[in-house]
Amino acid sequence: MSPNRRVVIVPCSGIGKTFGTVSREAAYTVVEDLRPDTTELVALSLLVLGDEEARAAVAGHPTVTIDGCRLACATKMVQESGLPVARSFTVLDAFRKHRDLKPEGISSLNPEGQKLARVLAEEVAEAVEELGKSET
Amino acid sequence: MPILPKKKVGIVACSGEEMPEGTVSRVAALKVLEQLRPNDTVTICLPLFLAGGEGDRAFARFYPTVAIDGCEKRCAARATEMYSGKPAASIVVTDVVSGNGLGPIRGSRTLNEAGMQAADLVAQEVARLVDGLLGRTGRAIEEAGVEEATAEVPEEAISLCSCGSGIPVQKVAVNGRVVTLIALPAIFEQFYQSGKRPGDGTTRELLEVTRIYNPIPPEEEAAYAQALAREYEKYCRKQVL
Repeated sequence: MSPNRRVVIVPCSGIGKTFGTVSREAAYTVVEDLRPDTTELVALSLLVLGDEEARAAVAGHPTVTIDGCRLACATKMVQESGLPVARSFTVLDAFRKHRDLKPEGISSLNPEGQKLARVLAEEVAEAVEELGKSET
Repeated sequence: MPILPKKKVGIVACSGEEMPEGTVSRVAALKVLEQLRPNDTVTICLPLFLAGGEGDRAFARFYPTVAIDGCEKRCAARATEMYSGKPAASIVVTDVVSGNGLGPIRGSRTLNEAGMQAADLVAQEVARLVDGLLGRTGRAIEEAGVEEATAEVPEEAISLCSCGSGIPVQKVAVNGRVVTLIALPAIFEQFYQSGKRPGDGTTRELLEVTRIYNPIPPEEEAAYAQALAREYEKYCRKQVL
């Protein structure tokens, strides 16, 4: 995928709950480890507050949101900013599929939380791949 | 004024994941919340705040907030001001870094040594601001059982969301639509305990006190008054049952 077909990843920015931490860790895993050449991380607050640079980064590129909980702040806020969401994921859904991976900790995740973040990141990475293909 | 939960300070961190300074803001906020001032602070969840989280916005309307921003864009401070009120204090990581001559901050996911130092400095400054906002100095801090910067991390340290701030809200029908009124249950309780019973005078007073915590458009005052009178009458009836 060429740089102009990159996929934007927007995680939940919550810092008060474990699920927010998992969402952020999953986003970093995608952007730094799994798909470093085809993805870019954009902070939710910049988009919502209308930062031109952040909006330009998103415009014309598929956006994938990773929410912590069912409140789905990342997805809602990207949509309310007038930007389309190509795919959305939540930590809660990933946990429902992997009940043995109960995440704990906010500053640092327990091993189960780290595994859950990895599993979720792999799902997101697959979606990134599909979105890349659909653009070619 | 209704009696509200113990005064705390809300910490709003920009948390910008795309830059190391955003991570410094997040790490510093968590250090204050979990280690330095766990009993005096709650985190205000920025995304929920932006998405219209009533609990978080209500908290920031009642209590002082400290915004921790990674850069000069000051998203946390601006969002707080936009949706609730001007933060009582604001700190920008890049200012702390340049002011203390720290080396380049690197690592959005895992901070380098300079980043961790910056997080410590920011956290200590925020703790100092919290003490100032709560009117605490020296001995009072010790008496309040607040842990100092060198204290060990409690085993089950948790950062408390402002969702758990305990500010009561009540949904009320006004002009055929449902609105959420902050602090209304506490206002009703206080009115009832001070012997105020339903009536025109009480309704006028209810409207004034409710207005302190909730925006009431002038053109809808009559509708709000009617709704408050109705709900307070219901509340009083429940008390005598």
